[in-house]
This record gives sequence, structure tokens and C-alpha cells, in this order.
Amino acid sequence: MRSVLIVDDDPFIRKLVSTTLEDVAGFRLHEAANGVEAVERAAEIRPELVFLDIDMPRMDGITACRHLRAQEEGAGNATIVMLTAAGATENEDRARSAGADLFLTKPFSPLDLLRLVDELA
Amino acid sequence: MSGEGTTTTEVAALQERLESVERSAAAKEQQLERYAADLRETFKRERERRHELRRSYMATVRALCNAVEARDAYTGKHAERVAAYGMEIARQLDAPFADDPEVEFGFLLHDVGKVAVPDAILWKPEPLTQDERSLMEQHPIVGWEILREIDFLGEAKLVVRHHHERWDGTGYPDGLAGELIPLAARVFAVADVLDALTTVRPYRPPSTVVEARGMIDDSVGSHFDPEVVAAFRQISDATLDRIRLEGS
Repeated sequence: MRSVLIVDDDPFIRKLVSTTLEDVAGFRLHEAANGVEAVERAAEIRPELVFLDIDMPRMDGITACRHLRAQEEGAGNATIVMLTAAGATENEDRARSAGADLFLTKPFSPLDLLRLVDELA
Repeated sequence: MSGEGTTTTEVAALQERLESVERSAAAKEQQLERYAADLRETFKRERERRHELRRSYMATVRALCNAVEARDAYTGKHAERVAAYGMEIARQLDAPFADDPEVEFGFLLHDVGKVAVPDAILWKPEPLTQDERSLMEQHPIVGWEILREIDFLGEAKLVVRHHHERWDGTGYPDGLAGELIPLAARVFAVADVLDALTTVRPYRPPSTVVEARGMIDDSVGSHFDPEVVAAFRQISDATLDRIRLEGS
């Protein structure tokens, strides 16, 4: 089954995203709490879609993004959506050069989130 | 001195911790507000779409209904008046379908099956032969067949099929009796006869509402459900007149 990986150090956000996407578009949902975990999980589950927070302990989202892009089997071809704070354009530029595809600004609109996943499905 | 210094550092650390907790709480709150805003927006859109859908159902039903009535110059807005009488009786009865547009659609479309009755029979001034009557009496089944695939006409289809049944079981097409006849169809029967009696026909002048009430009372238990007629009696002459004039 096609997989989605949700990466955020805040369990509240992980829960919110996974609850919103539950039963939508037939993806299996996985979670990780930081960049290191994300890279490990991605190698196992080979997600088609990754939601990636930027500010995280152990390994931040931009570094994680670079690692994910470098994976041959894991998330190398995944669509990577960065979860960014409003106004953090500098982060967006860095994330884009690290291989991010799309951006979802926090606080994010659940409808935007659903539309995004729907378009990929 | 050093003790004081540690305390200050601790206070600063606590202060920072508190601020971080507050920031995090504020971010969660904003995120939840965003969910609430989207939910509200979705609900509004959903409501608009529902209204739009209802309008287009109504337009479809009216178009069908006009197509049926276009053939019959005498009855004019018969279907609209019957629907209005029927809904009024349903409200008096406190029937479960009192505000159900599906049933109203059924009242409006009751004769849709007459499209299959040839002009020569529909317009025949003399009494019908046995064969002609059998064909005429197929119209509830034909109507039901026409509407069969239309999901939004659930209850309406029962009205179309059973609008000529009689309480004593001598009606058609299925000869159902008593409460086996769907309630909406029992309500329809009274509304239909009321309208037929109180509108002008080529072969007779219209009856007054008082006369019509008397004739309906005479058929309680044979043609009509006594409870439906009891509910009908509660409706004032003024209300019936208003419906008749609006639909003339």
C-alpha cells in the first residue's frame, strides 16, 4: 500500500495531520518525531509523500530533506512537503535547494492539506 | 551572592521555559482555529450545494409535471393544488413526511404515468370500455416504472404507485387496503378528490368547499382513511380557499 510519512517533533501536529488524512485517498500513514527517525523510517516504508517540519531536535527538516532525496530506495522519489512557519522565506529557499517540492504554512489549512493529498492520489 | 546568582539564572530559565510553553500553546490554538474556520467554510459550501441541489430537483420535478399537465387543459394546476392540500393535511396529521420534499414531489408527479395513455382514451367523452379502463388503470404502474431509477424520489414513487388505492381495498393497481396503503398515498387520495370536486370540469360546475367536505365525509371508511379525513376536517375553509386561488 502507498505510504505517507509525517515528520514533526510536536505530537499534536503529527496527530492532527494523521487524523485529517485518515481514510483519505487510501494511503498508509506513518510518523516520525525528528530527522534521524524520518530517514530511518523512510528507508523501510518507501513513502510516496513526506510531510516534514523544519525545526526539530537531533536533525532538522532541511538536513533530513537532503538525506531523504539522496536515498535510492527510500524517499528519493517522494513528494516532499515542508511544514514551515509563516514568513520564514529564508527557510523555504534553503528547503527548496535541499530538494523540497511543496510548502504548507503553519497554521495550515486542513482543506489545503486534503486537496494536496487528493491531487497526488 | 552566588546563591542569588543561581536563583536569577533559574528564574530566567523558568521564564524562558514558560514563554516556550506559551508559544507552543498559542501555535496549537491558532492551528485549531484554522481547522474551525475550514470546517465552517466547508459547512457553508455544503449547505449552498444542498440548496442548489434541491432547486434543481424541484425544477426537474416541475418540468416533468408540466409535461404531464400540458395535455390536460381542464386540470390546469391540479398537481400543484393537490400537492399543497396534501402537505397541509400531512401537517395536520403531524405525519413523518410533513416537511419532506420527496413526498411533495410524489404529489406533484402522481399522474406522470398518463404519458402512456393515448389521447383517444384520455380525451374520450363517453364512458371507457373495459379494455380502455384497464389501460387507463395502468398509469400508476407506468409512472412508478418511469421514476424507478431516480433515487431522490424514494417516497414519491410510493405515492405515484398507490394514489388510486382505496381504504376498503377496491382501488388499483394493487388493491391494497387500510394501513397497507402508504400513508402519503392515503393523504393524497383526499387531496385529489377535494381538488377534483372544487374545480370546474366540462361536464359540471365546481362544488363549494362545504359541499366537498360533505362528499368526502360520505366516503370515510370506503374510499378514505378515517384518520386522514379527521385531520382534513381541522383545516379551515380559509386555508383551502387560499390554496385553491393561488393555484388557479
